[in-house]
Amino acid sequence: MDFILNTIRKIDNDQVKEHSFGNEQSLEENLAISFINPKDFDKLNLVSSLHLKISNNQRNIIVKIEKDENVPEGTIMIPVSIWSNQLTEILNDELVYKNIVVSVEATREPILKFKEIIQKIRGIE
Amino acid sequence: MKRYPCSGCSLLCDDIIVKSDGLFIEEVIGACLKGKERFDQVNAQNRITSPMIRKNNELVNASWEEALAKTVEIIKNSSAPLLYGFSNVTCEAQRAGMDLAKEINGFIDSNASICQGKILNKARSQGINLTTITEIINKVDLIILWGANPAETIPRLLNKILFSRGKFRMTGREIKTLVIIDPVKTASFRVMGVRDLALIIQPDKDIELIQMLKEECCSADSIPSGGVAGIDKSDLKRLLLHLTGAENGVIILGQGVIQPHANYDLIEELLDLLQLINTRQAKGRISLLLLGGHFNMAGFDHVALSSYGVSGKLQFENKKLVKSEDTIVSKINKENFDCSIIVGTDPISHLPHSLSSKLSKKPLILIDNHNSATSRIADVVLPTAITGIESSGLAYRIDQVPVELKKILNPPNNIPSDEELLNQLIEKLNGGAK
Repeated sequence: MDFILNTIRKIDNDQVKEHSFGNEQSLEENLAISFINPKDFDKLNLVSSLHLKISNNQRNIIVKIEKDENVPEGTIMIPVSIWSNQLTEILNDELVYKNIVVSVEATREPILKFKEIIQKIRGIE
Repeated sequence: MKRYPCSGCSLLCDDIIVKSDGLFIEEVIGACLKGKERFDQVNAQNRITSPMIRKNNELVNASWEEALAKTVEIIKNSSAPLLYGFSNVTCEAQRAGMDLAKEINGFIDSNASICQGKILNKARSQGINLTTITEIINKVDLIILWGANPAETIPRLLNKILFSRGKFRMTGREIKTLVIIDPVKTASFRVMGVRDLALIIQPDKDIELIQMLKEECCSADSIPSGGVAGIDKSDLKRLLLHLTGAENGVIILGQGVIQPHANYDLIEELLDLLQLINTRQAKGRISLLLLGGHFNMAGFDHVALSSYGVSGKLQFENKKLVKSEDTIVSKINKENFDCSIIVGTDPISHLPHSLSSKLSKKPLILIDNHNSATSRIADVVLPTAITGIESSGLAYRIDQVPVELKKILNPPNNIPSDEELLNQLIEKLNGGAK
């Protein structure tokens, strides 16, 4: 199912805080997370034990999912972090952090680890 | 106990009370969550207190001599160095960064260029009024948050501008109307009262709202009955009344409205609207405030302007400033650099994968005080003191007002400040002379 991805800043899911005070586990708990409207949660037949695979044309991430009635239907919100930025884009030499079309599906696969992202960035697949 | 300015975010609150004996901070009073985190960083478990260099693909602790020698070696082997960050350092350190860029014929840019700097330059070129926090407190009767969520990014901003009593008005919150335009009901909506206006706009439909407001600027007669961009007609009428009737209004712009679009420039459209309203306003005016998170995001432009006569990025060749059409994004995207010096920021986390992967392919020197995704891929990590706690200097607040940050404690292990370290690098590159 196609969604609009918006990256957002949330004080409880803050990457500077996690990098300063947390560890890889807390990074993943607080930043590898997405928020969608409860109606979309039902449409995707999600349950709390499932994760969400979010893909653009080139890459995908697997993150936890939380219901948030403040998120508009058809939109998925992810805190600004190394996870969300695997899907953000460039348009005319400007960075696109919002309104990115992504495809979303429920998955049993584990959350994408911080170390795995670093390896992908460094070209070590 | 003494008052100190806080370097937790770009609001630089100057009313934070700190109890310290000069060795430890015993108590911090009046700081928000972000401010408290800033003070807690002094003893954070991921604080970097020793230089590190990459050996056998692993970062290991090194002596300052060894780390600086490695840094100098990387820089000397480079013909197109890239310097980036500089929003979490003082103006003095920004100036030292520019001096280093000049010395090594590099390209230097700050985080502002991918954030609020984009609006600032356009607003300046159109002659739009920017306003100050004090002016908002004292005079404003209309506050519009457009794609901005200060409750979670600059936590005390709304306290200061919405709830404070102004000098030139008899009342405070009672006469200030808050309008929030956002596709998401963010935490900032929680401060809204009955006379405020919450406008939940459909995602990416801001352009439709702006165009309607431009067309209907001083007449609400022909607003479509079905509303625009998910906002109904009665709310649009109220918005128009507020925009055209406010004595002093401010639009606070956040990241939500600075996104690029393929077919139009939303920022220019919004600035046009502002000009139109101000031209037609009989008694008041609407001005702008730009939200930027890093504590000295505004400073880089001021320093570049006062030092080199241009605002924003600087490209040096043969130790002279030259014109360049490049931006930090185009430089990395075209791989038009052969090493990078990252100062006080985490581009591996905050840039899209296509850029962070290119950045990681070339030697990277990181100057910062805590671990980050960037420190995981850096070839050299040089720690510095925490500005505003362990070192002093000038910073420009969110509204372009300069604030002097003060030193409270000595840094651990005699870590230098960003300014000292950058000047030390220049000296090393010059064989001892600055």
